[in-house]
This record gives sequence, structure tokens and C-alpha cells, in this order.
Amino acid sequence: MEIKSNKRLLNHYSAWKYLVLIVSLIVMLFSALPTLYGEDAAVQVGAKAGLTLAPVALRDKLQAEGVTVKRIDQKDGETLIVLDEDNQQTLVKTLLSSMVTEPKELTLSLASAAPSWLQNLGFQPIKLGLDLRGGVQFLLDVDIEPVYQTQAEALVDSLRQFIREQKIRGASVHLDQDNQLNLTLPDNDARAAVRQMMKESYPNWQLSNLDGASLQIKLSQEEQIKLRNLTVQQNLQVMRSRIEELGITEALVQRQGDHRIRIELPGIQDPAAAKNVIGATASLAFFEVKESGSVNAMVLNDQSGKPIYVSRTPVLGGDHIIDARASLGEMGMAEVNINLDRVGGQKMSEFSRINIGKPMATSYSEYSRDEQGKAKQTQEIISVATIQSQLGDRFRITGAGTYQEAQQLALLLRAGSMTAPVTIVEERTIGPTLGAENIANGFAALGLGMGITLLFMALWYRRLGWVANIALISNMVILFGLLALIPGAVLTLPGIAGLVLTVGMAVDTNVLIFERIKDKLKEGRSFALAIDTGFDSAFSTIFDANFTTMITAVVLYSIGNGPIQGFALTLGLGLLTSMFTGIFASRALINLVYGRDASRHVRV
Amino acid sequence: MKNINLTGHLTLWRYGCSAISILLMIMSLTIIGVKGFNWGLDFTGGVVTEIQLDKKITSSELQPLLNAAYQQDVTVISASEPGRWVLRYADIISTDMNTADAEQSHVDIQQVLAPLHTEVQVLNSSIVGPQIGQELAEQGGVALLVAMLCILGYLSYRFEWRLASGALFALLHDVVFVLAFFALTQMEFNLTILAAVLAILGYSLNDSIIIADRIRELLIAKPKLSIQEINNQAIVATFSRTMVTSGTTLMTVGALWIMGGGPLEGFSIAMFIGILTGTFSSISVGTSLPEFLGLTPEHYKAQIISDAP
Repeated sequence: MEIKSNKRLLNHYSAWKYLVLIVSLIVMLFSALPTLYGEDAAVQVGAKAGLTLAPVALRDKLQAEGVTVKRIDQKDGETLIVLDEDNQQTLVKTLLSSMVTEPKELTLSLASAAPSWLQNLGFQPIKLGLDLRGGVQFLLDVDIEPVYQTQAEALVDSLRQFIREQKIRGASVHLDQDNQLNLTLPDNDARAAVRQMMKESYPNWQLSNLDGASLQIKLSQEEQIKLRNLTVQQNLQVMRSRIEELGITEALVQRQGDHRIRIELPGIQDPAAAKNVIGATASLAFFEVKESGSVNAMVLNDQSGKPIYVSRTPVLGGDHIIDARASLGEMGMAEVNINLDRVGGQKMSEFSRINIGKPMATSYSEYSRDEQGKAKQTQEIISVATIQSQLGDRFRITGAGTYQEAQQLALLLRAGSMTAPVTIVEERTIGPTLGAENIANGFAALGLGMGITLLFMALWYRRLGWVANIALISNMVILFGLLALIPGAVLTLPGIAGLVLTVGMAVDTNVLIFERIKDKLKEGRSFALAIDTGFDSAFSTIFDANFTTMITAVVLYSIGNGPIQGFALTLGLGLLTSMFTGIFASRALINLVYGRDASRHVRV
Repeated sequence: MKNINLTGHLTLWRYGCSAISILLMIMSLTIIGVKGFNWGLDFTGGVVTEIQLDKKITSSELQPLLNAAYQQDVTVISASEPGRWVLRYADIISTDMNTADAEQSHVDIQQVLAPLHTEVQVLNSSIVGPQIGQELAEQGGVALLVAMLCILGYLSYRFEWRLASGALFALLHDVVFVLAFFALTQMEFNLTILAAVLAILGYSLNDSIIIADRIRELLIAKPKLSIQEINNQAIVATFSRTMVTSGTTLMTVGALWIMGGGPLEGFSIAMFIGILTGTFSSISVGTSLPEFLGLTPEHYKAQIISDAP
């Protein structure tokens, strides 16, 4: 060790290392800067909104209503109105909606308050979590069970049909609680026939022989997972488009775990309004109406409670609906105009062609949760209409109630349909004042902690203290820069706590090194040599100590949820950056200043 | 440290502190067993609402109105500032998707408190379904377990088992102590506190590992010394580092406690206690236990031979 260190140049870092250090520091500084400026609340007016006012006129008009406008940018027909006060965002949106033709094109957003040259470099402020910004958060649970059930029921129907067509006598199909089918068959020939049919038409089902010539049929594991993924994906899509209707650019719709969806709506203060849009799960289906008393039919009640017999499988599910709009038709009756996709149009056209003059029922299903937390479905017939002519991919249904109810239904249908019940299992609202307060408190604590630590280090390690302090400051700069750069990184209140902790712990790296240097000086080495061996002998200890904390940070990140993940993120990143600045950056500094210091009786 | 009197002193002091540590741990476990935790909303499910009212209104005015409206005993806690109240009650609304129903069953806080003739401002509210609470509790338990196992694995890889067991015992001691504090004061134990406990896992080990590193170094460098002597020397050598780091961390956590406001209060308290006991236990029980288990320089001899062929 000693011999080796004499051979190489003592305490020397090559130029490229300094270059790496300086470049990364500058980049991180630029990346961290926009956060300092923060963000302003803004309202975005899309190009199709039909805003006719010029920016100056717009400003005057808003100012007349008591709104202070910071700036108005107009580019490519889009207008961005940046506000001085965050709490006027909703007010401005309401004011604007009367000035444009398409209020849907108005969205609440945030605009970086950093100077434009910084923004042009592509640097963005750190994304703030809901606990710092205020807003509403929902956790939705997608119940997959009904999807499996629908699949199983459809199979029961086609098996029955198959049995009938093949004239197999004495066969019966039974569907049990776990959506498993038990098929009792008279002989092995019949079983072979069913197996053949299943193999050809339903390869996703698992068959196993039971006693006698019976068969047990269930969905294979892979198919269940596939169905679940598809269902959650579909619901995610539905939620996204519904959220779009709310007009919040920063909204987050994310899958969480197997069958959960997390929705974060920053800036929203009234959860009830958001709930009305994302909350209700409605789906529409069109059924063939059967004669009352029909065997192969299911019974649904209409709004007055009258039973109506309809086919078990719908002619068309709501997932084929592309667009639905409410309007007032002839005689002032509310109606919902529906557009179908191509496949849906074909199906509808085929069905209606052979059923002209016959009634078709439209069912409206809603999923809710009862007191025991179990999902329940209420399905009712909202209209039974006689098919007047062959329907295409555009048609309308009447009887959706008042115009407002028709509008509500159209909104829900427009967002598509959901085949699985979705329930809210968690809801959190953070008021905007509390969010601002959390930021102020968190950063006050960070400032105080940082100040004390800097002061302490400067006093305790007089000669080397400034090195530790520069390392600590650059550590914070890099940490903030990284938080702004890493996609998906969100700063939460526990995240700020993590930052504060990092400040306290980051100096540990330097303390360990300095103590080692002290030891080596006591042993009578020169300052330069003590620095070299001090850094070397402290490294494994630093690594060991940080590694265990890293383990907890990783565990926390992978298992925790929103705010806790924020803590794990700043904790883990803080460890990495403190190793970088504590070992690499402070060594670079010390090498420059004390690297050639051969004096022996130095006090650190 | 070369003074034999001083080392004898130190050894005695160390044993004394270890005895105290073990006593404290037994006490802590008893407290946890007897009192249990005041589980937060995150784990139990339910509703928590924070409201801002006129400063003159007292909890005795609030309580009857709320109890009547929600048809249960509503917990009313005064928050960090006067006029701020945290209300906690079991979920009466089925958090259902059916908007019409939700509207009807939602008790409007504004209406409930209307008889008080004050402006009610809802600062935040959280509704957590019972199944989520249970899941989070399970996840938290798993997180704690996984972190412990990973740390155990790393420790046994890096250190001889006797030395590792010292660090591990110190770690358990710290976690148990912090948990006991929350059981004793009945402060709310929520997800943030759990995060603090996990962070304490990491930090407590920090101190222990740094001392253990020194012990290992000394065991290899000075195999002739008695184990007591080596432990004492390791503690003395790292003492100033231990004090400085614990000091700066305590100071920053203290800053968080003072300035961080209500939501971070529990977290800072947990961390504060964790760092204090972490420092204490790593010096006392963390080094004494390997001694009792018979750690000798022999245990690191074999490694030296294999390391330097």
C-alpha cells in the first residue's frame, strides 16, 4: 500500500476528473434553478377554443373582474394566461368559458416562472406531490371477478347450444361460484366431441376430466392475468379520457399494483365534482327483447320496475361506442346521439336488419359498493325502442330522462364503457393553503438544518470545514438537479424530510474522512500523506455504512406508496450524491489546496 | 486510552449501559404488549378531516354536534394551531361509485357545524377504505421484514457473525424503543412513522457498522490485545466521529421538529429518538454483545490467510 502510493503522484486528480466534476455541477445547477423560481398557475386556451379576443383586450377584461394577470402568451393559436395568484385559476377558467365557443378546450395548467432562457434549455422545475401542491387523490379498485363471470356465462351459453346442435342427451352445464364450469356428459364420445370443440373455439380454457364422463372447465391462469391486464388497461384509458374532460393538464392516472388505479388531480379543491366524473361507472348495452316467459332470457326491470325479458348476451356492448352526445330532439325530448365504431356498426346493422319492427332494449348498468364493501351491480332498462329502420353506426336513443340526465349519460358513454366495476377505495384531499404551508415549513426546516450544519462544520473542522461545507452545498445542488431531471421523480413532504436528513447525514462522509486524516496526522505523517491514506482507509467504512441505509431506501421505494416513495427517493438519491460529493468532490478540492502540503504538525 | 484505569472504567461503563439497554428493551416490549399502538388512518381505514374554525370554539362545542351527525364517537383532536381541529371517525359512507348515493350519504361538515355560526374551512380530508388499510399494514410489515433480512444478509456477508449480532441487537433495541415510545404516548402510528422506523434501521446500523469496522481492523492489526481493550479502543477512536455525525443529524432532525409543522412532527420525533438510542446502543450493547458471545482475534485470522495468498 505504502510502496504503491509512493510510486504514483500523490494527491493528484487528472484534468478530466475536474472537467467531469465541473460540468456535472454546472448542469445540475441549471437543472435545479427553475425550482427556485417555482411555478405559476395558468389557464391554457386551446387553438380550437374559438377565443377571439386579443391578449390586451383579454387582460383588460380579466382585470376588470379583479384578476391580476402576470402575462399572456399567444403562440400557434394557443393562448396561455399566467396568473399572479394561484387561487384565481378556477375563477379565470369560469370567466373564460363565457368568452370562448368551446369551453372544453380550456385547461388548468402550471407555467414555469423561470426566465425563458432557462426554459429554452429544457430545464423544468421539480414536480411537487399532491401533499405540497394541494389537490385530490383517488385510489380506485377494479373488480375483475365480473369479467371472469361474463366470460364463463358466455361459454355456458355456447356449450348449451353445442349440446343442442350435437343432440347430446342427458348433458348438463353447471356454473359454480368460482366461475368454474361443470359439464356432465353421458359418455366418452360426447366428452371427446366437447373437448374437440373447446380446443378449436375456446383454447384459453383449461379442461380436466372428472369422474364418469364429466368435464371441469376453467379459465387458465395466463388467460386470467391477460384478462385482468386488459380490463385494467381499458379502465385506465377510460379514466384518462374522463379526466381530460375535467381539463387538468397535470393530472396523473396510473396503474398501481394488480388491479388498482391511482388518480391525482392537482389543483382540484372539490372532490365531489371530480367524483361525479370519474366516480360513476356506467355502461350501456343493447339487448334483443324476448317474449315474456322466454326460457333462454334474463329478466331486467325498467325504471318503473316492470320486468322485461331480454337475451342473455347483449347485441352490442358499450365498448363499441365512440361518441355520445345529448341533444334536444323533436318535441323537446332529451335524446342521446350515439356513434359506434366499425365493428359495432356492422353488428348493429346486421342485428337491426333482421329485426325491423321488433323492440330493442337499452340497458344501463351502474356499479356501486354496498355496506359490506362488496361490489354490486344495478342494471336496468332505460329504454325499449322499436327499431324503425336498419341502424348504422349512427343512431339515437330517447328516454334517457331530462336533458341534464341525458347529458350526464352522454358524458359517461363518451368516455367509453367499463366492463368491470370500479370503486373508490381511498380518497385524499389536501387544501391548497395546507399544501403551501407544508412547502414553507419543509423548506424552513431544510434551511435551518442546513444553516446549523454549515456553521457547526465550519467551527469544528476549522481548516477542512469549508471543504465539507462546499461538498454539502454542491450535494444539495446535485440532489435538487437530479430530482428535477429524473422523469417521474416527485417531491413530497416526507421527501423534504428526507432532504433534511440527508443534510445531517451527508457530512458523515466528510467527518469519517477527516477523523481518519486526524488519526494519520497523530501518527506523525505529513499532511499530504495523511490526506491520501485518510481517504483510502475511510472508503470501505463509508461504503458499508451507506449501503445498509440504501437497502432500506430501496425497500421503502419498492413497497411504499406516493409520499413514502418520495421519502425513499430523496433518501436514496441523497446517499448517492453525498458519496459523490463527500468523496470525489471534496478530494478534488483538498488535492488542489493541500495536496502538496508536506508539513507535519497540522491541526485539523 | 493507553491508561489501564481508563479502559477498565470504560469497560465497566459499557457493561452498565448494556444492562440498562437490555432493561429498557424489556420494558419497551412490555409497554408495546400492554398499550398497543394508536394505529393511524393509513392502517385502520376511516375518515380524517382537518378543519379550520373560529379560534373561540372549543372541542366541547364541536363534539356533540359531530357525534350526532356521524352517529358515532368522533375523535376531535386540536391540531398544531388554535382553531384547527382534526376529526377522525369510522367510514359511514360506503365509498361507492354511485354518485347519487354518495351525495345523499355524505354528511356535509358545513351543515353539521352550522349551529356554531362560524366559517368552516376544510383543509384536508382523507378517506381510506378498510381493505386498503389492511393491505398497507401488511405491506408495511413485509417492508420491515424484507429490510431486516437484507440487512442481516449483508451483515453476515461483511462481518463475522458474533460482530454482526451486536449490530443487529443494537438495531432491534432502537426500533423497539421507538415503537415503545409511540405505544406509551399513544401518538398516531401512520405510514410516515413507519418510514421513519425503516430509516432508523439504516441509521442505527450506520453507527454500529462504523464501530464494528474499527473493531475488525484492530482485531487484525493488534491480535495480542484483549477483546475488551480492542472494543474500548475502537469506541474511543470513533467517538468523535460518532458525536459529530449524531450531533449534526440530531440538529437537522431537531430543525425538522421545530419548523416542519404538524405533518412531520411524529416523523421527526421518531427519528430524534431513533438517532439518540442508535448512538447509545451502538456504543454499549453493540460492542458488548460480541464480547459475551466470545469474539476473539482468532475469528479474523482465518480470513487474513485466505486474503493474502
